[in-house]
Amino acid sequence: MRILGIDTSCDDTSASVIEGSSTILSNIVSSQTEIHKKYGGIVPELASRMHMDMISHVVNEALIQAKTELRHIDAIAVCKGPGLIGSLLVGCGFAKSLGYAAGIPLVGVNHLEGHIFAPFLESEPEFPFVSLIASGGHTSLYLINGFGDYEELGRTRDDAAGEAYDKIAKMLGLSYPGGPVIDRMAADGDPKAVSFPRAYLPDSFDFSFSGLKTAVRRELQAIAPDGDITKIPSDILNNIAASFQAAVVDVLVRKVEWAIVKKGIRRIVLTGGVSANSELRKRMQKMADEQNAKLWLPSIRLCTDNAAMIAAAGYHHFVAGDIAGLDLNPKAYLPL
Amino acid sequence: MTVRKYISASSEETEALGSKLGRHIVQNSKSAVVCMYGDLGAGKTVFIKGFASSLGIHSRDIGSASFVIVAEYETEPVFYHIDLYRIEGDAALDELGIWEYLDSDSIAVIEWAERLSQRPDGAVSVEIKYLSDNEREIIIKGADI
Repeated sequence: MRILGIDTSCDDTSASVIEGSSTILSNIVSSQTEIHKKYGGIVPELASRMHMDMISHVVNEALIQAKTELRHIDAIAVCKGPGLIGSLLVGCGFAKSLGYAAGIPLVGVNHLEGHIFAPFLESEPEFPFVSLIASGGHTSLYLINGFGDYEELGRTRDDAAGEAYDKIAKMLGLSYPGGPVIDRMAADGDPKAVSFPRAYLPDSFDFSFSGLKTAVRRELQAIAPDGDITKIPSDILNNIAASFQAAVVDVLVRKVEWAIVKKGIRRIVLTGGVSANSELRKRMQKMADEQNAKLWLPSIRLCTDNAAMIAAAGYHHFVAGDIAGLDLNPKAYLPL
Repeated sequence: MTVRKYISASSEETEALGSKLGRHIVQNSKSAVVCMYGDLGAGKTVFIKGFASSLGIHSRDIGSASFVIVAEYETEPVFYHIDLYRIEGDAALDELGIWEYLDSDSIAVIEWAERLSQRPDGAVSVEIKYLSDNEREIIIKGADI
């Protein structure tokens, strides 16, 4: 059985063909990052226009690399949200037309469910496990009991972890996306240089990164009252980046630790774009070792947005008979 | 135009004030636009959590909308949480279809409303100013609450 996956939820146009539930035959991600970098973030109208330009090429390339003809595709799995509505509409519109024209069943997949199933594309996590999804749009903690059986333990009350990275990067006059560049600066800085707040919210598994964002802004104002970031020496900026990153990573690792202890489950899956962060990967592994827990860390290309993960989750929907009609409409806000 | 000034001493008070404005608007009209002004970390999202509770939306379901820009909630009337933080230029706004959202029978709250080249007719404005770590000055214009 072959599934064609399509994801256009944010700034990457992606298509993938998988065989069965987990063998990747192709996974094409056409990043728009270079274009959006110029604007310091995603520009929604640019994003949807780029998706329109790219989607047929990307899907075609995914089929070619998978050496698969359209008639051998059993189902098309498309991301139906959450994400940028204009971008999602391009993917869903394309998937619906293709499915209708070629007589292929359509499956709608929640983007978060895609992230949850990403690690299955290269390993076999055992249920139940605690899953941390941390990206530019989401920071949520789930208990995953099996396909379709998800218990939300907590989520961010304000900004997502990746969003905090992007906003801090913008304050520091750095390029978009913020994660990789702050990660690099942090490697040369002292994580203890500035004591930024950590919102542990001990009564819940929720997250909050808004206070941290405000604290970094005020620290910068104190160092450069005239707002001229360029005057701040690079070692000071590296220290701020390292201290900020330490605050984010401390909270993410501690919350996962609480969750596995409270639930008595020693299995962890880390996923979403922020999971590509080197410090988070290192510290989560250290905590998992100390707790005698098994940690699944997907490779970076599967942490970030990609269509193979949509196809992997779509496979389960398809075999369960959960087929979408042509009335499938994406939603920007779509809880799992 | 009615101008009301408040000092909020905590995020709870900011949320409660948001709720008060929300109830006032929901009781009086089926269609409204609220423009929010305030720097990063001023407490706009907290205010909107309170505001949206008047439409029956749980505070947990309101987060940052910077990523999706327009978050739509299927309430009666429809509620739009719009965040223009990443938007630059009128062309981007036009292509986003922002004016269609605002013209419909809906209640819309817009963060980073300074990105709008013109404030919609009859819009209520809410400005949040940072005073100290916990204190904020909140100025509400155009709503007799």
